[in-house]
Amino acid sequence: MTKPIIEVKNLAKSFGKNDVLKDITEQVNPGQVIVVIGPSGGGKSTFLRCLNLLETPTSGEVDFDGQNLTTLDTKKVNELREEMGMVFQGFNLFPNMTVLENIKLAPMKVKHLDDAAATKLAHELLSQVNLDDHADAFPSSLSGGQAQRVAIARALAMNPKVMLFDEPTSALDPEMVGEVLSVMQELANQGMTMVVVTHEMGFAKSVADKVWFMADGYIQENNTPEEFFSNPQTDRAKDFLSKILM
Amino acid sequence: MKKRVILFFALLLSLVTGMTAITSTTAHAATDNSLTKVEKKGTLVMGTSPDYPPYEFQATVHGKSQVVGMDVAVGKKIAKDLGVKLVVKSMSFDSLLVALQTGKVDMVISGMNPTPARKKSVDFSHTYYQGGYSIVINKNDKGIYKDKDSFVGKTIGAQTGSTMYNESKKQTSGTKVKGMTSVSDLILALQSHKIQGVAMEKPSAQAYVANNKELAAIPSNFDLSASDTSASVAFAKGSTALVNKANKSVDQIKQQNLVNKTYLPEAGKYLKTNTVNTSMWHYWKAFLTGIKYTLIITVCSVFFGFILGVILALARMGDGGVLRTGLRWLATAYVEFIRGTPMMVQVMFVYFGLGLIVNLPALTSGIIAISLNSGAYVAEYIRGGINSVDSGQTEAARSLGMSGGATMRYVVLPQALKNIWPSLGNEFITLIKDSSIVSIIGVSELIFQSNIVRSDTYRGVAPIAVIMVLYFILTFTASRILNYFERRMQHD
Repeated sequence: MTKPIIEVKNLAKSFGKNDVLKDITEQVNPGQVIVVIGPSGGGKSTFLRCLNLLETPTSGEVDFDGQNLTTLDTKKVNELREEMGMVFQGFNLFPNMTVLENIKLAPMKVKHLDDAAATKLAHELLSQVNLDDHADAFPSSLSGGQAQRVAIARALAMNPKVMLFDEPTSALDPEMVGEVLSVMQELANQGMTMVVVTHEMGFAKSVADKVWFMADGYIQENNTPEEFFSNPQTDRAKDFLSKILM
Repeated sequence: MKKRVILFFALLLSLVTGMTAITSTTAHAATDNSLTKVEKKGTLVMGTSPDYPPYEFQATVHGKSQVVGMDVAVGKKIAKDLGVKLVVKSMSFDSLLVALQTGKVDMVISGMNPTPARKKSVDFSHTYYQGGYSIVINKNDKGIYKDKDSFVGKTIGAQTGSTMYNESKKQTSGTKVKGMTSVSDLILALQSHKIQGVAMEKPSAQAYVANNKELAAIPSNFDLSASDTSASVAFAKGSTALVNKANKSVDQIKQQNLVNKTYLPEAGKYLKTNTVNTSMWHYWKAFLTGIKYTLIITVCSVFFGFILGVILALARMGDGGVLRTGLRWLATAYVEFIRGTPMMVQVMFVYFGLGLIVNLPALTSGIIAISLNSGAYVAEYIRGGINSVDSGQTEAARSLGMSGGATMRYVVLPQALKNIWPSLGNEFITLIKDSSIVSIIGVSELIFQSNIVRSDTYRGVAPIAVIMVLYFILTFTASRILNYFERRMQHD
């Protein structure tokens, strides 16, 4: 049996009196693509951000590669974050740097790659997301789809073991969603472990190994996409699916 | 006699005296080592305010600007008799006594009269000169005014807080007395008919009349005591050995009538060489020196102020833990305190207050004080700039494994800097102008230099016009350069 790369045990998170995550215990195996779906405000983004400790859990445990992140010091957490790439809804590219510089920054400052090596790496990754001709552009001149592909390339530059996607297509115009999803599908085909929060049901159906349905601070269902979409178990999931699938 | 007492000066004096009591490193310890100290270092430092011809003023001697006048001659005589070298240190009159008490200078010779109030805080030598007062008027009015009593319904001007000012108020009736800080300004007011007469010391009045054909002097006929019209050398309290030694020199000066026979005529010669050419071009070196120091102070202060500002801003944004909370509290208190006190007081405090612990030159003190001041303002700009950077930027950087420090340095601060660049540019331009405040501790920046040119040339307006243009050239050039960099940072 393979050892899980991410293991979440009794995770809970509250903001003040608002309990966003109540009690979550799940695991992600290497190579798996997990798609987290569910109604807005159900805690999906918070859950994802707890995985790399952008949010500090109120209680519970997040183990990455066998190490409990919640007990590690900042330095060690920084090191483990390198291995978990994250892609945000709002891209969060650095606006004062070119596309190439965006990708080179972390490899140079964190992994101490020299400039030539970092540049070579950045060009490779840009080719992979079909944007090498935009290497010297500034983020403000990119379309949303292009910006998100650069953001994916930037995260990949740290050679992560896991990629976390936080609603990567929600801020995009509809005609740009496809180009981002196809890059993500390509990644999945290459065997990347991925946890994706999204509303793209098509992507969930075709790419996910497991669908986690999340609502009210719990993961209500954990199933294969075929099983989940054709045969939801809980009323909450049935209700959700009836609203999005006409 | 010059006897300006400004409120904050008195406050500062008491503060400094208070600190003197606390710290043990005082200039005048209980045992009198004043004389041995001077002999040991081989120099006698004389403090003076060189804007008061013929007592002391700036003149160009062999192409070099230096302080001359009868007081300098007295100082040279004392130093020579002690067998040491005289060093003249210029500063504003207000600062002289503090400089004496904090050991910045060994003695003060600046046309200072030994009043009972001053005797409480310093020791005086015998008097080396007995003067009197005249009133300077416009030559055209010569028939109208005879003495102090002719100004009924008119206005007499005098240096604010001086004995002349007090006596003019006391000894005239129906006359308005107008106070200004510098004699050059008073003469200007006289020539523009804002006032009808200026009360000043006889030698000064003679110097002004000799150098300005439009002016005439009339006797004042003030009823004065000897201590109001005599000049003495001031020493730190308790330096009896040094005073006794100086008294021997002063007595000789008196006996041989050196002031009237030698010192005043000599000073008169310098005055003439000074006023031969009163064109502003003739003084380009003085203005150049002013620009040089203004720029040195501004650039250094901006540099250190920025570093301090970043540190303060980060400290103010720290959270969690006793240490960070403590630092935040300290930084906040610092910023509030600096913003809540005048820069002028800060400059004087650094020069005289810190001077008790380490003896800092005036230029260094000025740079330190202005950097400390600027840092507080810059800290607030930077804090605002950091807050203006979207939190997503930090999250993106952290998710890439960058540490908090690296995130701040490579991601947040560059963007914050871009956002606050116009404010920082403002601060830089403000500093070019505000650096003028260090003229009070005798740093020869533009304002200080222009005051010297004013008293040298007896021209009130021209030097002001010159530095106005110079300041504008400096600030305009600076703002062009800043705009260039602002444009270069624009990517969106």
